[in-house]
Amino acid sequence: MNSMKLIKYFMITALCSVLLSACATSKKGAVLEGDVYAGNETVEYLATGVKDRVFFATNKSTLTTASRDTLRKQAAWLRKNGKISVTIEGHADERGTREYNLALGERRANAVKDYLMTYGISGKRLAVISYGKERPVNNGSTPLAWSQNRRSVTVKAD
Amino acid sequence: MTKSILLSVLFHIFMIFLTILTFPFMTKKPIDLPPILSVELIQISDLTNIPFAPKAREIIEKAKEEERLVSEQAPPSSKKKEKPDKIPLPNDEKKKKEIVKKKQNPEEIEPEIKQTSDFEKKELFDPNQIAALIDKAKEETAETTKKQKTLTQSSIKSSIISGLTLSEEDALKAQIFGCWSIPLGLPYNKNLLVRIKLKLKPDGTILKSEILDHARMNSPGQGFYKVLAESALRAIRLCQPLRVPPTGYEKWKEMQLNFDANDMLKG
Amino acid sequence: MIKKFLILTLIFISFSSKFSYALVEIDITRGNLDPLPIAVSPLFVHKNNLKNKEFKEIGAKISEVIEGNFKRSGLFNPLSKESFVQEPEIAHLKPRFEDWKLIKAQALVTGKIELENEKLRVEFRLWDVVAAKEILALAFTTVPNNWRRVAHIISDKVYQRLTGEKGYFDTRIIYVSEAGPKNARIKKLAIMDQDGSNNKYLTLGNELVLTPRFSPTNQLVTYLSYFKNLPRVYLLDIETGIQEVVGDFPGMTFAPRFSPDGKKIIMSFAEGGNSDIYTMNLETRVVEKITDHPSIDTSPSYSPDGKYIAFNSDRSGLQQIYVMRSDGSNVKRVTFGNGLYGTPVWSPRGDLIAFTKVRKGRFYIGVMRTDGSGERLLTENFYQEAPSWSPNGRVLIFYRETKSNAKGEGFSAKLWSIDLTGYNEMQIETLTDASDPSWSSLLTK
Repeated sequence: MNSMKLIKYFMITALCSVLLSACATSKKGAVLEGDVYAGNETVEYLATGVKDRVFFATNKSTLTTASRDTLRKQAAWLRKNGKISVTIEGHADERGTREYNLALGERRANAVKDYLMTYGISGKRLAVISYGKERPVNNGSTPLAWSQNRRSVTVKAD
Repeated sequence: MTKSILLSVLFHIFMIFLTILTFPFMTKKPIDLPPILSVELIQISDLTNIPFAPKAREIIEKAKEEERLVSEQAPPSSKKKEKPDKIPLPNDEKKKKEIVKKKQNPEEIEPEIKQTSDFEKKELFDPNQIAALIDKAKEETAETTKKQKTLTQSSIKSSIISGLTLSEEDALKAQIFGCWSIPLGLPYNKNLLVRIKLKLKPDGTILKSEILDHARMNSPGQGFYKVLAESALRAIRLCQPLRVPPTGYEKWKEMQLNFDANDMLKG
Repeated sequence: MIKKFLILTLIFISFSSKFSYALVEIDITRGNLDPLPIAVSPLFVHKNNLKNKEFKEIGAKISEVIEGNFKRSGLFNPLSKESFVQEPEIAHLKPRFEDWKLIKAQALVTGKIELENEKLRVEFRLWDVVAAKEILALAFTTVPNNWRRVAHIISDKVYQRLTGEKGYFDTRIIYVSEAGPKNARIKKLAIMDQDGSNNKYLTLGNELVLTPRFSPTNQLVTYLSYFKNLPRVYLLDIETGIQEVVGDFPGMTFAPRFSPDGKKIIMSFAEGGNSDIYTMNLETRVVEKITDHPSIDTSPSYSPDGKYIAFNSDRSGLQQIYVMRSDGSNVKRVTFGNGLYGTPVWSPRGDLIAFTKVRKGRFYIGVMRTDGSGERLLTENFYQEAPSWSPNGRVLIFYRETKSNAKGEGFSAKLWSIDLTGYNEMQIETLTDASDPSWSSLLTK
């Protein structure tokens, strides 16, 4: 009797957990984590191992763990190369109104700037510019394209 | 143990089966009623006996209250409001209003009937009954003024007194509805009532037409009134010969048409 | 005894006033909303000018422009010229209303043009065919090149006389002309007549330009430019072509509009991740901060009396529309429905605010009352936004983008317009792709 009950409950929980895991938002596996692009397709490098960009979720400007990891490396590289100044570009995907996207891009760029400053990089070396949705890196209208466009890119200033 | 599980599963499947069956019913849209008053739905008799008239009045009053929320450039209230999710098409709104109006018509007639029957009785002018008459008169005017506030532009002078029966009135209304091109540019939050008095020939053609409230035609800020009045006149002229009853010329040789664009334009 | 007599007379009077009224009264509360059938007779040329070939064509061209205006408005149905029986010259003097009634016209426009001392003189008449009388007659004199504006002015006068509303035909639209792939779009400021003619470019396309807006005086335009890679709000004088940056802000300014009196620019200024709304007085150069909140506050739009400002803020977590007094006080949220709301634009009539709504991945253009009630969604699409009102508060112009495939192909942006009632949705022809349209006020005051 008791073992029957146990087996039944186990089956139910197994079934539920399988159902839940199938409901995960990412279909592409490791490329999209939640709503944030986690791949390397559009990524360029400021120096070996130093990615030039971080990605964001829809309507958000919060930094993910992966983003913070990238930015720590950027900060280290900036500390090593004290003469270099950068421009931090903020971008948004095309799925929003144009003016709000300009503001959102600015907020994303500043999130990156603030984080770099906490690692001792002087604000004078970090310029900020927002392009809203005007400069996508992927011209498609797919969730993948949009996730690649929701980014903040650190560019060497010349 | 297993028996009870089996029974429970069977019962659950049965319930799910039932809900699947009923779902398509629930998603069916309510049947749209035709916009023109259909004579068949209302019985024509001397006395109206519509049980749901009081409810209709509540509905109308509630509807009117909601519509009065418009504030032009006034600071908005910070109430949390429930917004409808589906796209309300303009057609839906008009049809809803039409349904409400339908219930309104019989309601107008009800108190009037009482009055005429009282009046017929009191033709002899019994002085002893005069006190009772006064009270009734006051009550009636109070009621009519109240109705004038809650019901937009509804005519209190009923057609029953003047002689057109309901179906003939509806036939004429339907005819004019078809002829009246309402100017869409009229301001929907102003008084859009234009009353036109007509003198008719027995064949339904117009002898003479007169716009009441003629002063409004040229008053400043009421420029739309001229446009409205002209559109009404065009409608009447285009509709000639009017669909008048074949008999009883004396009853309807003088007619007043109250054109009100309010319902059609209220977005 | 006297008392009873008095009461008797009272009742008699009150009752008699009721039953002497033997008038049949009928309420007409419905009509049809069909476009009014109107006949526009080609304007005939004065016999003195018949030898001038070029001039002869202007009469017909004017009537064509008028017909085009009427047709696009959705409120008039211009009848085909082939069915016209009367000659334009005779119709202008004394129309045979029976002829016009036969083709079901309810209104008739006739006119005459004359070239006098190098000047174009236009005379037109509007006739009520059903009432068989003239209801409007006007004449103008201008330079012959301005014949288009004459056609638009006539259209406005006829529109106003027949609908009770001011017209919107003598207006211009400023927009951003776009070309090229999505990630390298060339954008130029462009201006055209409301019917698509007289298209002119105002910038060269060397820098990114966005969201141009007309001043109520129509001579100035404000917009966002990335000149020297510094996004700032600029002013452009259409007549002189001179551009100047608005104010001296240390960061990005964007989303500019004019105040209803044309004296101020209202815009957003972004700093440190926060965007607030500021105004700058164009005469005194005084800058005022209007909102002060750590959220994004943008897309400000004045009410026509200048007392209130509607704007877009995400202070509640997501984009919603708020209304505040023009000094920044009394901020109230007005949108509470499901979804995001943006781009609020106050109607020139003062009674409605148009907006963009995003819900479940679909974009809507809608209107609502200024307290947020009565939300009505007019059209739905994969992507559309940024409505702008016609000066009579009747028509909305906005832009739509199409979905592109994974390679970025199939993308286009076009201008669309829709009537306030939700009817008459149509695309506006532009030579190139177009976005960010803004409607001027009437050119004739």
